Amino acid sequence: MSRGARGEDILKQPFDRVRDYVAAKSEGEASFGDVVALAEITADSMQTFFAAIDRTIYRELREIAEYITNLRSEIAHLRAGELQKDRLPKAGEHLGAIVAATEEATNSIMEAAEAMLAAAGKDEATFKAVVNDKVMTIFEACSFQDLTGQRIARVVETLEQIENRIGRFAAAVKSDAPAAPAAEDPRERRARELLLNGPQDRGVAIEQADVDALFADKPVSA
Amino acid sequence: MALDHSMPVLIVDDYSTMLRIIRNLLKQIGFEDVDEASDGTQALSKMRDKRYGLVISDWNMEPMTGIELLREVRADDKLNRTPFIMVTAEAKTENVILAKKAGVNNYIVKPFNADTLKSKIQAVFGE
Repeated sequence: MSRGARGEDILKQPFDRVRDYVAAKSEGEASFGDVVALAEITADSMQTFFAAIDRTIYRELREIAEYITNLRSEIAHLRAGELQKDRLPKAGEHLGAIVAATEEATNSIMEAAEAMLAAAGKDEATFKAVVNDKVMTIFEACSFQDLTGQRIARVVETLEQIENRIGRFAAAVKSDAPAAPAAEDPRERRARELLLNGPQDRGVAIEQADVDALFADKPVSA
Repeated sequence: MALDHSMPVLIVDDYSTMLRIIRNLLKQIGFEDVDEASDGTQALSKMRDKRYGLVISDWNMEPMTGIELLREVRADDKLNRTPFIMVTAEAKTENVILAKKAGVNNYIVKPFNADTLKSKIQAVFGE
């Protein structure tokens, strides 16, 4: 029942009493006693009305207090401090190390390839020795994949934890309303205007053949 | 315009690894005079100091992107005839169309191989 409907019910009973009293006394003129009696009925009805409002407000305040207590508990479960001080910096370190490891490996492989190309004009024995040596360098450099794979797994684990905690928090605070779109910052606006989309996933990215078709003004495959 | 392997080529990319890869591929194709720039601003400065026969540029760089460099080049009376190839991971149709409208001569999607680079260079020079 809504608060308005409940208020109407509370008021209805004293008003009925006033109506009955006035109906009973309608034959004669109102005396001082009648006025006092009406005043008592009015005061009584107001007390009943305000008591009902007090109970409603109390219940609503109790619900708000319970909500806040629940919210505090869920915020604690987010463990924002741990994410901020430990997991996110660690994830950043892992990503930095991945970039460094892949760069180092790529440079080693390219140096080896360049050395083999440079040895192409030398005598057969020298060329063979260089190729053997540089192929081993390439094999060694490829071991970066194992380490970067492990680091990527740790970063993915952190992201999954964040996703789970935020999901639990959103459910606890019943945050199912669509969020208002965030204001676009200058960096995002620049990326949108200059089409800085970055690498696309397979299936979304167009192929070189599609690009060639666009340059030849032919229809692009779906 | 005929393809001359002795012409200077400017490659523009913010990743030193990619610059090295393209430089090696160009060397294999037969280009020896290759200069490098790490973004559009540096590339524009080099282009105003030296006449390049071909520019091969990435798209996503800071502070000046490849598309901004292309627009600057096409708006400059002294540079606007320089052949320009975009080599980028930006693989959306809208990117290709925008680059084409801005006057790019060809467009290569990363990752790419030596044959693709060679064929696009040849196509730009009508071979």
